Amino acid sequence: MARMDATRTHCPYCSLQCGMAISRVATGSAARRVAIEIGPWAEFPVNEGALCRKGWTAGGLRGSRERLTSPMVRDRATGELRTASWDEALDLVARRIAVLQAAHGNDAVAVFGGGGLTNEKAYQLGRFARVALGTSQIDYNGRWCMSSAASAGNQAFGVDRGLPFPLADVEQADVVVLVGSNLAETMPPAARHLDRLRERGGKVVVIDPRLTPTGERADLLLQPVPGTDLALALGVLHLLDAQGAVDEEYVARRTTGFDDVRRAAAAWWPERVERTTGIATDELHALVALLASADKVMVLTARGAEQHAQGTATVLGWIDVALALGMPGKEYAGYGCLTGQGNGQGGREHGQKADQLPGYRMIDDPAARAHVAQVWGVAPESLPGKGRSAYELLDALGQDGGPKALLVHASNIVVSAPNATHVTRRLEALDLLVVCDIVMSETAALADVVLPVTQWAEETGTMTNLEGRVILRQRAVTPPEGVRSDLDVIAGLAERLGSPIPFSTDPEEIFAELGRASAGGKADYSGISYERIVEEQGVFWPCPAAPAGESPHPGTPRMFADSFATPDGRARFVVPEYVGPAEEPDPSYPLHLTTGRVLSQYQSGAQTRRIRDLPDEGAFVEMHPMLAERIGAHDGRPVVVRTRRGELKAPARIVTTIRPDTVFVPFHWVGANRLTNDALDPSSRMPEFKVCAAAVLV
Amino acid sequence: MSQDRPAAPRPRLVVVGSGMAATRLVEELVARRAVATSSTSGGLDVTVLGDEHAPPYNRILLSAVLEGTHRPEALTLRSEEWYAEHGVDLRLGARVLGVDRERRDVMLVDGTLVEYDTLVLATGSIPSLPPIRGLVRMDGSLHEAVHAFRSLADCERLLAALPGSRRAVVVGGGLLGLQVARALGVRGIQTEVVEGAEHLLHQQISAPAGRILTRDLKKLGVAVYTGARAVRLVERTDGSDGPALRLDNGFTLDTDLVVLTAGGRPSTALARGAGLEVRRGIVVDDRLASVTDPSVHALGDCAEHDGRTTGFVPPAWEQAGILAANLSTRLCDESVRYDGTRVVARLRASDLDVAVLGDARAELDAGGEVVEVANPIAGSHRRIVVRDGRIVAATLVGDLSRVGLITQHFDRRTVLGPHEPGELLLPERTGDAGNGAGPWSLPDDAEVCACAGVTAGRIRACSSLEQVRDDTRATTGCGGCASTVRQLLSRRTDTAELATAQKGT
Repeated sequence: MARMDATRTHCPYCSLQCGMAISRVATGSAARRVAIEIGPWAEFPVNEGALCRKGWTAGGLRGSRERLTSPMVRDRATGELRTASWDEALDLVARRIAVLQAAHGNDAVAVFGGGGLTNEKAYQLGRFARVALGTSQIDYNGRWCMSSAASAGNQAFGVDRGLPFPLADVEQADVVVLVGSNLAETMPPAARHLDRLRERGGKVVVIDPRLTPTGERADLLLQPVPGTDLALALGVLHLLDAQGAVDEEYVARRTTGFDDVRRAAAAWWPERVERTTGIATDELHALVALLASADKVMVLTARGAEQHAQGTATVLGWIDVALALGMPGKEYAGYGCLTGQGNGQGGREHGQKADQLPGYRMIDDPAARAHVAQVWGVAPESLPGKGRSAYELLDALGQDGGPKALLVHASNIVVSAPNATHVTRRLEALDLLVVCDIVMSETAALADVVLPVTQWAEETGTMTNLEGRVILRQRAVTPPEGVRSDLDVIAGLAERLGSPIPFSTDPEEIFAELGRASAGGKADYSGISYERIVEEQGVFWPCPAAPAGESPHPGTPRMFADSFATPDGRARFVVPEYVGPAEEPDPSYPLHLTTGRVLSQYQSGAQTRRIRDLPDEGAFVEMHPMLAERIGAHDGRPVVVRTRRGELKAPARIVTTIRPDTVFVPFHWVGANRLTNDALDPSSRMPEFKVCAAAVLV
Repeated sequence: MSQDRPAAPRPRLVVVGSGMAATRLVEELVARRAVATSSTSGGLDVTVLGDEHAPPYNRILLSAVLEGTHRPEALTLRSEEWYAEHGVDLRLGARVLGVDRERRDVMLVDGTLVEYDTLVLATGSIPSLPPIRGLVRMDGSLHEAVHAFRSLADCERLLAALPGSRRAVVVGGGLLGLQVARALGVRGIQTEVVEGAEHLLHQQISAPAGRILTRDLKKLGVAVYTGARAVRLVERTDGSDGPALRLDNGFTLDTDLVVLTAGGRPSTALARGAGLEVRRGIVVDDRLASVTDPSVHALGDCAEHDGRTTGFVPPAWEQAGILAANLSTRLCDESVRYDGTRVVARLRASDLDVAVLGDARAELDAGGEVVEVANPIAGSHRRIVVRDGRIVAATLVGDLSRVGLITQHFDRRTVLGPHEPGELLLPERTGDAGNGAGPWSLPDDAEVCACAGVTAGRIRACSSLEQVRDDTRATTGCGGCASTVRQLLSRRTDTAELATAQKGT
């Protein structure tokens, strides 16, 4: 085996974007047989050389027989997919788009992106939709990720960056509260920072209906009823105020709106919180005692708190807790969201969201439209307005007034959308479904045209990790013959559609334009270059371009030290009104169902389920022995989970670590999301993945 | 009906009372955008008449204020500004003298008339005066040492009296009485509780549970007299200042303070005066309208629905939600109906653990079966009443483990398996109870490192931490398995050394 030069890059999976070094290893005499070997990149501060098994085995898709290497189009005669040339496939797609748009208007064609796309791709995709297609109908799967935290962050702080501080700051806090995060399984190397915090004597609080490997690291574990985290936050605020533990000086100097929050919290006394959340008053008192006595408190939310019809309000409630304690803007303290997807952060900043233009600009803001139109070289009035959010977009497919065609990039909708049976029917109702993917995902299998694209390590581009650190994924190997980058797909279609402006396929060139488009926006990348990213191990936005002759902006590792990004510089307390889950248990569906992840799989599993070294055990139904005894379930034997929307059959996994009134199903396999509720958060449009009413039958 | 009054531009809603039920009603109306504001055209003109001077506050936390665990400033539920911002005319210190249903107006104590189209009575309850001679002076005022405990003003007056007081007697051994007694105890006052029934909380819990509670209180320094009624407030016989309370069992308790917590009754004087049907409370139908006059509603402690009055906040709030829905959709045929509420009562006092779910006695009469675990030695008594597989009532004293889950099952009417009620009262199962032996007992196929998927056997096959890292990737993810790996490796070394040593001999 011959080792060639190692390339420093980042993991293909979660938002931690662990640094790794990729070496090419010749596996035989034939020069073309090159495998990837993954090694540590010890200096990268987020993970310091550590990786989880997903990262170590990420090279496994390289050379996989399941890798798509040729475009495929559905044969009209047989209904089967057959291989086609790139020209044939792109011509076909462009022609049918043109026909549909001529008949039904520009919005007849929709685009669905993903939080795994590089910044350059996300940017190009938004530009392509707005200019080449002229459609308002573009959104992405990040709506189902951290959109509630984004919406709450914008309301409270005037800006949305997952963590407003480097992840390693966790180690220096006194108390870290994790609300609905299982980072030890979803981003294992992050747990090292928690362990170091605890070695220093700091405390970890975990709030989760399940005791997870993250919960095992907790000094205090609270297991509330799913969907009641907001009531818990209100209970914390209540006791903080009752005990005089509110940082009144900070509240007066740096915030507005506390009085209404204080009054609302007066109605959430501990016994009421206990009845709503199932958290005993003693546990609530213990949490508040811990928070009130600590100097530096960090509150971190993740999907468990956010994927609810009240996700935004829930995050706002926990932000209120952090603000009442005087934490945001203080060193080693504050509020943050643990973003999920690899580019969950960057993916939402550059214009693939229905309501946004690059730089986190709002599409209905005339100044934002003028700026971006000028960078793109089009007229501001030519840019479409706000489109439908992800679930609403899918729900409208093939319906009257809804899109007739959908282009999907980096998303496996059939597995990851809520109420999946319904969504699958909507996809089937389309006149044209085009899916770009690296493998034949469940969504690609429904497509009329499948376009094989490059994967991580075969292409260059930037990502923005959960800290707001812009990093560079470098090309380390040559892509297999026959595949093209999403950037090529976009450019190829734009040209065929007669786009008024050209579309580059060079990532660095696109990044430079992205920088100009983002200049002056909230997420300002204009001072960042590939060169700086490499030299500085990533650059934190905002990083505006410095005027000629001045030294470059250093980037912003820590935000809010002096002021917040609101017009008056103060953080906003927002009163969150607790409503509870959209669907409560009843006699027919007496249990709470919650969904989540397992360590060895990532998202819809399209990649990880195909990697031989990762265990693929399939879905399971986690339940408490008390419930198992009630219904007669046995460990390892199949049970059926039923909700108003669908059914799933999977083996029972009987554990004492889950609430007895709750069952858990991981969502990486087809099935879990046939069960989940499509009730949406009014502000983030996040579906309620994390709780619905269910029955379990043997 | 009056004829000469000008037609009202908007329907006028007048709420008498500004307690927790009234406040919730207004909040619900605001949330439903049913209140007219300067910027809206539709909606109701809402006036709230509160006889207390403080802005609406959370009454149930008064004992926590007395105990010193809750700042009085943090009681306020809504500020006066909030009412103004939402277009609600809040009048504090506005005591209502009478209601004229013919003219549809209410008269305040200062003679002001407030007209209504719809009237809501949320007058709450008033403390009952127990039949103790000497409580009330000739002029009708309470003896200066005697305190009620219903309002913020009562609480403030009692707090003000504490510095000069050493001893207190609390009359009434119900939930409020115990909270007040415990609060006074925490404040360093020598406190005694007098309860006429044979045991504490006799309306809620069984005698054995009551005895446990008595013992708990004694441990906390609060003396308890059960089966004893206070009959007379007298001057002390030893010539020292202050009164003494004489009981019907012959005891006389010297004291500086007497706090009356012996229950309350619905405040119905206004309703009676207006000719509305009143039994124990103001009688209302499923839409919370008076059975006498559909333009008058009542909710909360003052209302009687289906023969029952309650004294708790959750039912009052549920009623507020239902009434708000009905008031804001007046014109619709559909109306929301109230069918009673499940009550969960929790004693709010440090170091006293009591939870009462539902009405155990009534459920037993209805055929409920009892599952009970009592340990008087450890001081716990836990009883669950089950009917048709559901927890229909529970009393938990001295041990509240799993109270959250038991309450969830109770509230959601979950049908449980036959063993579950019993199991809910036993110590919680933990996952690997027998796994305290340390990692060296792990079987070879047990997973040690989840991040990399490495078993104990593979670790045992390595000779050093470096080899573990390089060959298996264990410890290179979250780092959580590092200590287990080290122990497995050291055990391996020990065994190897042992083997070498044995060979040597």
